[in-house]
Order: sequence, then structure tokens, then C-alpha cells
Amino acid sequence: MRGDGSVIRITDNTLTAFDEHLPSKEDLYAFCELLLTIGVDMIELSIAVFERMEQLPSEGKYILKIDFAEEMEMYPGFYRYLCHHEENTEKIVNEIQMNDVREIVKLRALGDCNELRIVGLDDLMCGSYDKTMYEIIKILPKSKINFCPENTYGCASALAVLWILNAGSDITTSFAGYKNNAATEEVIMTLRLAVRHKPNRDLSDLPKLTKLFERITNTTVGNKKPIIGKNIFKVEAGIHADAINKNPATYEAYEPKCVGGISELVIGKHSGIKAIKLKLEEISIPIPNDTVVEKILNIVKEICTENRKSLNDEEFARLAIEVIANEGK
Amino acid sequence: MKENKFIVDTTLRDGEQSPGIALRVEDKLKIAKLLDEIGVYEIEAGVPCLSAAEADGICKIIENRKNAKISVWSRMNVEDVKKSIECKPDIIHIGTPVSYIQIYSKLKKNKAWVQKSVLDCVDVAKSHNIDVTIGLEDASRSDIGFILSLIKDLKNAGVNIIRVADTVGILTPNRTKEIVETIKAQSDIKIEMHVHNDLGMAVANSIAGAKAGAEYIDCTLFGIGERTGNCNFYDFVHASESIFNFAMSKKQIRNIEELSYHKLKGAM
Repeated sequence: MRGDGSVIRITDNTLTAFDEHLPSKEDLYAFCELLLTIGVDMIELSIAVFERMEQLPSEGKYILKIDFAEEMEMYPGFYRYLCHHEENTEKIVNEIQMNDVREIVKLRALGDCNELRIVGLDDLMCGSYDKTMYEIIKILPKSKINFCPENTYGCASALAVLWILNAGSDITTSFAGYKNNAATEEVIMTLRLAVRHKPNRDLSDLPKLTKLFERITNTTVGNKKPIIGKNIFKVEAGIHADAINKNPATYEAYEPKCVGGISELVIGKHSGIKAIKLKLEEISIPIPNDTVVEKILNIVKEICTENRKSLNDEEFARLAIEVIANEGK
Repeated sequence: MKENKFIVDTTLRDGEQSPGIALRVEDKLKIAKLLDEIGVYEIEAGVPCLSAAEADGICKIIENRKNAKISVWSRMNVEDVKKSIECKPDIIHIGTPVSYIQIYSKLKKNKAWVQKSVLDCVDVAKSHNIDVTIGLEDASRSDIGFILSLIKDLKNAGVNIIRVADTVGILTPNRTKEIVETIKAQSDIKIEMHVHNDLGMAVANSIAGAKAGAEYIDCTLFGIGERTGNCNFYDFVHASESIFNFAMSKKQIRNIEELSYHKLKGAM
């Protein structure tokens, strides 16, 4: 519940993007379950996905994306139906596309609309986004407005969060931003940190959801993708490695384990003496005296620079054992 | 009339700190030359105290640059600043912890120690006629009262630019705007935005900071950097060229990305 009494509602529409490569019924059920686990409130499905699922899962609220209002009767039982439909019909959310901030004047014609989703407004970040959001609410005081910012300028997650913080309570996102809108996982984490939205929700299943998403879409999530990238908790720089070891909160916005991740110390050109000692300890190699550690560090820097990359644990262990052995001769 | 904004490229410093890559001197020289050619205002070339080889590389970048200012990163430590001075850069950037978690928990020091230490460092650099910018590390989790008090001291010591660093990447555009506007309302110091992408908001936060008055924006090629990376150079210009003037075009940035991809791909 927010300070103004309204409840934040996140709709995820990833399952309207799988029609070209429809997953199995089991995968679709698993995907829905995982989305609900991480804190999604409503799941939007395409007709093809729903037909593959055969029936709705018992948990959660579902929205069906349809082309015409008349199709609603063919698929009863959904919480809402979504299509471009300007008449005020119960259970139908009217979806409208707005490519430019100047188009919001068109909303005046929709004053009677109970529920509305605005898709687009990619360029809002460069304008007076707070004034525009306020203007939208002012034009449609009686409507429940869901905002689905698009990501042409890499600002969709920020805009979705700003809508919640400044204006409304309903947003539409997709996992990893797959539908060129805000990324569900980024929005959930930002709202957790900014307004303590669902702070106890278990996000540790995110790696499982990511793997399922990658398998279904036959894509790979970027290594550095916020929240779900596989390399985002690796740390190399000496000053940061030491500080994270002592107190992770110093250089991490949230605990890696809360999203199913783990901090990982990488040895490379930017490592320092303390990082070398930490890694030796981690891989169970007795720590030699400081002169030898410094020698190991210097060789690490040389080799990494020469090869233009960091070392994996096996490479580092080989190098360290060799240096220590030579020192003992 | 669009406002001019200046790009500070930190691919060779914060970008290179990303696990997975290590640049050779010749790699850094080549990337610096390309950035210089397209009108990047400042190139943060590296950390001299990292190693003698790193310092030599930075010196070569300084020798070869045409227009860009070359800065080096230094810890808030007089010895490190002295090492930086040996490279004769245009700017020494001093990373200064300002959040209580960094000052009290990590360093086990206090605010008075930070104030004294940073002014000592500024004094050493200024005595060698080298400009200083101060990085307010972890500014996004800091007490704004302490930041403002520090800025007043820094202005008196001759510092004209501070870097608002979202070190752990937790800013939202609202909070970015609030911090920059508060500093601007209390001081005429120039602001450089330095954000990380932990919540996927680096571009939006950089735009919010620039709109609120930050003159300089820190970026990296491909957005490389620690954890989820820094503000992506191309994406920032693409997203905000409708309201800001930049020295370079998107095409020029893409061209540099193509030419440096193989050297930087390990960080992606």
C-alpha cells in the first residue's frame, strides 16, 4: 500500500510475445508461477499462449490480449481483456499507443473510459515528465490508467518507476524488457529499494526464471543485464574487492543472494594485494609472505595485460603455485 | 536553443575495471586517440598508482592527445596524488568517500578526517598547477548537508567541478534531480554526473542530472564498467540529442565502438 492509499500493480506482458515459438504447456505454467513468485500482480497472455495452456492456472490474475472486443465472449474467465476499444465496456482495458508527448491531448476524448493502458511515450524522459504525468491524470480523473512506457531510448524502466512514484499505480512491463518496454525485474527491484514495495518477496528464483526465458526465446540474457546478468556480481578492482569482502553493502545496491546470485572475486590487472590473499584463501592455497604475494600480483598484472583478460581460478592457482614453488627453491 | 553538454569518457578507467578485460598500453592509446578525435571533452585515462606500466601508458596518452583534457583517478591519499602528478595530467580526479557507510564502516574514520584529507590532496595537486575534480563517492547514499559543507570548503580551495557518483547505482531520476538541484541552489560549483546501471537507469539518471544542471556526463563505450556498467555513451547521446548539443554525432560513436569492440568485448 502506498502513502496515498493506492496499491502498486505490475502487469507483465512477456507471454504475449511467444506466439512465434510457442513453449510447452508445462513451461508456460512454470513461467506464470515464477512471475507471480517475484511479485508480478497480473499476467497478460496472448490467445495462442492461452490455447496452449488450455486453462488458466489457479493462482494469479490473468489478462487476455484480444484483437476485437467481441472475442471476449469466446474466452470467459479472465480478470480483464485488453484491446483497442474506445467504448466503455466492463472488463475491457482500452489500449492506446502514443508515440509523442504532444499526443496526450487526444486523451480528452476518452474521459469516460474506465480503464486505459497508454503504450509508448518513449521520449518522456527528455521532457517535463512529472508535468506530463500529472497532466494525464488531470485529463482522465475517473480512469484507472496503466502506463506501459516503451524503451526506444533506454529509459522505459525509469519511466515506469516514475509513473508509480509521481502519478499512478499501474504499469506494464516484460521480463528482461523483451517486449521493448520496462524490464519487470528492474522495476521490481527499484520499487523495493525506493519505496519498500513487497520487501519480503523472494526474488531468489530469478536465475530459474532467466534460464526458462532463455530456453523459450532461444536468446541469451546479456552478462551485464541489471539484476539478472550472470557477471554482475563479479568484482576485480582491488579497492572494491576488499571492501565487499568486509561489508558487501559498501559497493552493492542489494545483496546478491536475494536475487539468487553470489559475489565472485576475479583476479586481474586491477587486483591488489588484499584480493590476491583473499583468492588464495578461497582456493585453499596457504598464503605466503608479503614479498611473494607482491610477486604473484606483479606477474598477474603482466600476464593479464599481455592476454587482455582476467584470470580464472584455475589459471590463477597454477600461477600462484609456480611462483610459491620457485621462491622455495 | 539546446544546451551544450560535455562528455567525460571513463572507458579507460572505470570501464577497464570491469572484470574480464585488461588493456595494453597500445590499446589505451588507440582508444584515447579515437575519443579525442570526436571531441570528447575529457578522457579519464587510468589510475597511475596501479603500476609503473599503467603510469607509463597514461603518460603516452597525455603526450599524444590533441584537444581532450586527460584526467587520472586517484584515491584520497597524498602519496597517490603525488604519483598522479608525475604523469603531468590536465586533471587529477580524487575519489572522496562521502557516505557514512564508506566513511565510518569501510574506512573507520569520520567526516572531519575526510574534510582534512581531501583538502590536503587538493593542496598538493594545486601546488603543481594541476586542476582537480573531486568525486563524491556514494553521493546517492550521503547526507546532503555534509556534501554541501564539503563543496563550500572545496570551492574555497579552488575546486570548480565535483562529480556526483552513484557508486552503487541506486539512483532514480527523481532523486538525481533532487541532489543536483540542491547542490546548484547552494553553490555555483559545476557538476559531473557519474552513474552506474545496477537498476537499468543509468541513461535516465544521466538525463535527469543534465536537465537539472549537470554540465558534464560520465560515459563509457558500450556502457562497460563494474557490475552492470556505467552510462552507455551511445545510448545517452541517442536518448538526449533532442535537448542537448554534443560535440560528436551518434555515427562517430558507433564508429569508435566498431574499432574498439575486440579490445573491450571481454567486459560485456
